[in-house]
Amino acid sequence: MATLAPAPSAGWAAALAAGLTALVAVALSLPPFRPLIEQSMVWHMLVQMPLLVLAGWWAATAWAPQEGLRWNRFGLTGLMLAQCITAYWMIPAMIDRAVVMPSADAAKIASLALAGVALRLGLRQAPLAAQLFFVGYGLPMLAWLGWYLASTDLRLCNAYSLESQLRAGWGLVGLASALGLAWAASLGHLLAEPGSFKSRLPVRGVHDSRPKV
Amino acid sequence: MQTAPADPLRGLLGTFALCLAVLAGGLVAIYQATAGGTAFTTETLRRTAIAQAPMAVPDFGVVDAQGRTQSLPQLVGQDGRVWIVDFVYTRCTTLCLALGTVFQQLQAQIVAQGLQQQVGLLSISFDPLQDQPPALAEYAVRMRMQADVWQLVSLRSESDRRRLLDSFGIMVVPAPLGEFEHNAALHIVDPQGRLVRILGLDEGAEALDLARKLAPARPLSAP
Repeated sequence: MATLAPAPSAGWAAALAAGLTALVAVALSLPPFRPLIEQSMVWHMLVQMPLLVLAGWWAATAWAPQEGLRWNRFGLTGLMLAQCITAYWMIPAMIDRAVVMPSADAAKIASLALAGVALRLGLRQAPLAAQLFFVGYGLPMLAWLGWYLASTDLRLCNAYSLESQLRAGWGLVGLASALGLAWAASLGHLLAEPGSFKSRLPVRGVHDSRPKV
Repeated sequence: MQTAPADPLRGLLGTFALCLAVLAGGLVAIYQATAGGTAFTTETLRRTAIAQAPMAVPDFGVVDAQGRTQSLPQLVGQDGRVWIVDFVYTRCTTLCLALGTVFQQLQAQIVAQGLQQQVGLLSISFDPLQDQPPALAEYAVRMRMQADVWQLVSLRSESDRRRLLDSFGIMVVPAPLGEFEHNAALHIVDPQGRLVRILGLDEGAEALDLARKLAPARPLSAP
């Protein structure tokens, strides 16, 4: 796969993307942009938090060790770390805390960026079975949280109005669906990639030599 | 592209150990942040914390509908009554109306059971800009408050508002149509002026029971 050993220019592009994404995400925690995440759960959970993870993801893309990390066999450590961090920041009380406590907000920024790094390094080394386990666990959890936020008439975060919670809930359902589709698409890519499954599937070269329709 | 090391077992033990450490760390962090997995919202954490460690009500001046000022601890400690406290703003047309209804029912029960000497109701406005004494008086009439059961006070300044909300753990957020939303609840304050328990709006009966139990026993006949 091209992403495993990026050309130097691709590495620089990913590093640049990581830097810009991190800049935007961190700016959302600072004045004058902070009111956005203080007043809207959508800005907090569907803009800032995903951007933080994305920044980490791109940073890990830029920094691409040729060999897999030694204590990350099958991507297990990375996937486990990403799972734990994202689960923590799905707890309504922790979302409130990040809004009212600067130290918690700083911890959120650092840990979610780390989750992005961990997710990238995890998925890169994970075989299909491990991916299936973590994706099959993590995304339904995200979708369930979204559905719960959208369908309950309890305000779960003291920091946000019920209306804001409702919109964020449907947004999270959408985000989980989109991530699921993206993951499925990456599998399709994997199947079509010459050499990926060369030991199991006789697809090598077929894709490239097939005439364009 | 070969991503895994050549030896299939290389690093596997370290990976498992690290995974377990990460999982344990994550579980401990979540356990500690949620009061042992029992409270996942700020509101339940607040209620759990108060139930475990009662808190003295903050000391600052409050103003009633007649414009009289007294300190909050003085008000709640004046006559040995247990108070059920809520937070309102008089312009409210949504949640506070629900709160108002709960308090009206509590008022009716207190009167019906003759508990006026033991349990009092106290509504504190967190909107000192709008809720000056005339607005309080108008609200008291609208809610049919009986002065011997249900008291209504406001704050003297915006700075007190922040202190009040922070000490009780109330968060007020702007909502559509110029309204506020806040974590509404029934706060039980004992005769020593301590916030001892926080109950939900749907727990009016439990709140009244608890308040009656906390109230000092009174002799059946006057001494």
